[in-house]
Amino acid sequence: MSRVAPTSGSKALYFLCITLSAFLLYLDINYKSFERAKNLYKSFTISSSYTIKRITLDPLNYIFEISKEKSKLIEENKKLKQELDNSYIANFILSRDSKFFIDDEAIKKFLDLNKINKPFHLAKINSFDVEKYLCCSQHRMFIKIFNSKDINFIGSTVINDQGILGQIIYDKSIAEILLLTDVSHVMPIISNNHFCNARGSGKPGVITCNYSKLIWPDPIEIGQEFFSSGMGGIYPSNILIGYVSSINAIDDNNIHFDIDLVANPLKSSFIGVLEKL
Amino acid sequence: MNNIGYIKLLVIIFIANILESFLAPILIKAYINIPITFLIFSFAIYKSRFNTNALYAFLFGLYVDFISSSPIGLNAALFSMMAYAVNSYSNTFKLFSFIQICMFFSGSATFYIGFSHLFINLENFSYLILFISLIFNTFLFLIISMLRFYFPSLTIK
Repeated sequence: MSRVAPTSGSKALYFLCITLSAFLLYLDINYKSFERAKNLYKSFTISSSYTIKRITLDPLNYIFEISKEKSKLIEENKKLKQELDNSYIANFILSRDSKFFIDDEAIKKFLDLNKINKPFHLAKINSFDVEKYLCCSQHRMFIKIFNSKDINFIGSTVINDQGILGQIIYDKSIAEILLLTDVSHVMPIISNNHFCNARGSGKPGVITCNYSKLIWPDPIEIGQEFFSSGMGGIYPSNILIGYVSSINAIDDNNIHFDIDLVANPLKSSFIGVLEKL
Repeated sequence: MNNIGYIKLLVIIFIANILESFLAPILIKAYINIPITFLIFSFAIYKSRFNTNALYAFLFGLYVDFISSSPIGLNAALFSMMAYAVNSYSNTFKLFSFIQICMFFSGSATFYIGFSHLFINLENFSYLILFISLIFNTFLFLIISMLRFYFPSLTIK
């Protein structure tokens, strides 16, 4: 049976649909009109996948564990788990993941090394779109903060044991982090006499800077260290951000250079959230 | 092929979207991008015995926007455009060889990648990705379409 080519009526409907799509696209890109619905959907998928995992995989793991271990060992294990539960009943994830404490110590060590006295809260990565991180300009991460109580974390610095990852831009049940490499992110950084506002490049692990030789005559060198200046009021100062990896002259006076970040968001599933400065 | 049901197609696209989110980070290292959801939807309307309603394409596009965290309206527009193109040339396609149809779909996929990157990845827009994806997708579709000669049981009637 042959298909009929679109009539003028159906063409008008196609045109209307495409126009409506363009309008929705404009609203979403310029005004973020659908952010709430998107975040709601993300929260729903994260919590439902967690629930499904708890219902399906966890019992299977448990059965597997039982079949492997001797009953005496299981009893002992249970006792130990119970003791651990009692000790850290405030958060059930705390009780299950020994790696949590390792990450906690690592972040504490990082804060001590950098002489940051701000209290921090541990958080676990709930969702991170690696596809977008590797291919696209929007670099966001969704985390669950432990023991957050009623603290508003919007604008708080997020770190791991390597360094600064970004800042929180949305904080409800799941917090959203704007990573340093996101193209919409700007951060003031400093190195000796050089100061610049580093922008996210949209490439994983790279931020970029522009400066004029007329303002800072000292040359930039490959491998030069850059630190947070603390001037934006978001990030603590004097934290190592990264090393200059490539330098390109735009013209006689203007220089563009890339900085490879020291902190990799893919390294650990646990991160720290500093209380606001 | 019989017209695929709405629910069935919704589920297939949902699974395809998950598959795409797993494959994309691996393939992008080789500068390859395969828009699986878009291609499945295009294939469904291409194989449909009847013309696809514009609203059908629009709503499916919105659904993909929602589940894939793309800007709302991006897939809706592209799905509507694709539905219009397929409906307009549905009878012309019957004169085409399968190679020409494969090239049409790989061209459409490349257009989709380019158009979507204009909105979600403008700062790092790469012609290399478009070029390699075009070549890769063309060969991939040719291989898929040739499978029916070697495995007749796989043929979609």
